[in-house]
Amino acid sequence: MIEKSNWGDRLLAFVSYVVVAGFAVMCIFPFWIMVVASLTNENSLTLNGYLPWTTDWSLSAYKWVLAGKEIQASYLASLARTVIGTTGSLLVMSGLAYMMAAKRFKWRGIVAMYTFFAIIFVPSIIPWFITTRNVLRLYDSLPALMLPMMVQPFWVFVLRNFFAQLPAELSDAAYIDGASDVTILFRIVLPLSGPVLATVGLFMAVTYWNDWFLPVMLIDRATQLRPLPVIILRMVNNMQAIAEAMKQPGTFVPLAQLPANAIRMATACVIIGPIVFVYPFVQRYFVKGLTMGSVKG
Amino acid sequence: MAAIDHNDSGIPLARTLPPPSSSRARKNLQYLKENWLLFVLGGPGLIFILLFNYLPLMGNVIAFQDYSPRTLFASPWVGFRNFRLLTETPIARRLIVNTLGLNILFIAAETFCGVTLALFLNEVKGKYFRRIAQSFMFLPYFMGWTVVAMVLFGFIDYQVGTINAVLARLGMERVALTTQPAIWPLLLTLIRVWKNAGASCIIYLAALTSIDASLYEAAAVDGASRWQRMRFISLPALTGIVILLMLLAIGKIFYGDVGMIYALIGSQAQLYPTTDVIDTYLLRALQVNSNYGFSAAIGLLQSFLGLLCVFGSNWLAKKFSQRQGEEYGLF
Repeated sequence: MIEKSNWGDRLLAFVSYVVVAGFAVMCIFPFWIMVVASLTNENSLTLNGYLPWTTDWSLSAYKWVLAGKEIQASYLASLARTVIGTTGSLLVMSGLAYMMAAKRFKWRGIVAMYTFFAIIFVPSIIPWFITTRNVLRLYDSLPALMLPMMVQPFWVFVLRNFFAQLPAELSDAAYIDGASDVTILFRIVLPLSGPVLATVGLFMAVTYWNDWFLPVMLIDRATQLRPLPVIILRMVNNMQAIAEAMKQPGTFVPLAQLPANAIRMATACVIIGPIVFVYPFVQRYFVKGLTMGSVKG
Repeated sequence: MAAIDHNDSGIPLARTLPPPSSSRARKNLQYLKENWLLFVLGGPGLIFILLFNYLPLMGNVIAFQDYSPRTLFASPWVGFRNFRLLTETPIARRLIVNTLGLNILFIAAETFCGVTLALFLNEVKGKYFRRIAQSFMFLPYFMGWTVVAMVLFGFIDYQVGTINAVLARLGMERVALTTQPAIWPLLLTLIRVWKNAGASCIIYLAALTSIDASLYEAAAVDGASRWQRMRFISLPALTGIVILLMLLAIGKIFYGDVGMIYALIGSQAQLYPTTDVIDTYLLRALQVNSNYGFSAAIGLLQSFLGLLCVFGSNWLAKKFSQRQGEEYGLF
């Protein structure tokens, strides 16, 4: 390739680097502030506010956050919901996707329509709430945090499309040899679908981990089931919520003694920790999912 | 076997078969018997969709009822009373204006920034720089909105927020952003761009990397500068996907981003005039246990307008893609 290097081209290269680097720094900067602030001594925070750097380091916020009873319960709820929910989602959605992809299934057109209309006809929140809570009686329980979002029609179609392009001979041969649909799905189709399962699983896991809507709507008395996003949402403007989250058995702590400002940021760090931790390893699946998700309806 | 008459050719006679309707039912039953495992596999998914999608859709009837928690969906019918109430209050108008306005701002800003970033990222040749910048750029996409709410607090809080902390350091006056509803549409748009532009940039970048490299080479041989190549090769290659994604986003224009706006605004009522969208209003209506029938009427109006928009924008996307000689669109 012939590269004529003139001033205009060099300027473009320079501008490209500046724009991209600028945006990348802008994206990461709030996380920087979060981490630094969570490690700053509370006195310095009340005096100077959240600054990008400090000389007065302290770990006390993390000590509080990791010892807080409510946070521990909430972490457990978040983990349980994410692990069980993602597994359930993958199982139920691949079952449905397999049904829609099976060539010998004569009603697959109807089933595909049925699933597709669920993308277009989105239920309004008020009837959804009444149905889930008063008709299905789903509230104040772990299933309430998972079941309503377990099947996402869009991802069902992504799985269906992947299953449909697998070589049909494999499952046909197995079927003729007398293998059941369950065997074909679990022994042939799913083992060949690693990448798409990873992508769908990751997006579902992030959705379960970050969702605050279901707990705000469906959890009110079972406070031990409040997942992390709800805890932090309550902490933003509410000192009392911070004190509640930091409660430890057998000790009484006056509100004023809590390093509240540092605790806020430490909690945020603890919540995004798992995502940031696995992020480098799974980034390529995220990219895949984003490009697939581009035509998400 | 004995019941079936055979003619000379050995083919079963038509008249010996049962009447067509019951035969079809029996055939279906036979089919079900042979394939019941398919229904075991797909059934749970179908039931989930029925329970959490189609059942609530039927629940929209309460928009025409005087809802009471004791009678649920069997409450007394009141016809269009809830919708009449809707036209009498200024609330519906404000909600629709806010929902549309914010979504238009979001779509415009996200598309512009996503495309700009993709174009420039495409010009960056350093492999490692590119990879690291990309990882940074779509990290915010995976943060939950409640964490973003905390980040936002960390930036704009009057006492400890970074902006005010820096202003105070520089000896300038602090700004109380939470009492100024006028700047919040802008602020929300900025946050949206911060969170999503990196991710949408990935989609455009995928379209750019599929451009044939010989196009660029040929242009370079003909003396086109890099600016010109960007303007006349890269940018036109993006028009298709940009228009398609915009149309799909317009299809959802009546749905406010409740996950974002409720998490960021919460119950700061002084900000409602510019930030309250249909979805956040409905969510609050549920929490304060107010008139469900009236709120459901707003929800139904939203669903109806939303549906028109989905079909309209999809029709346009199809028309447009046919002209491009491709086929996209949802249905």
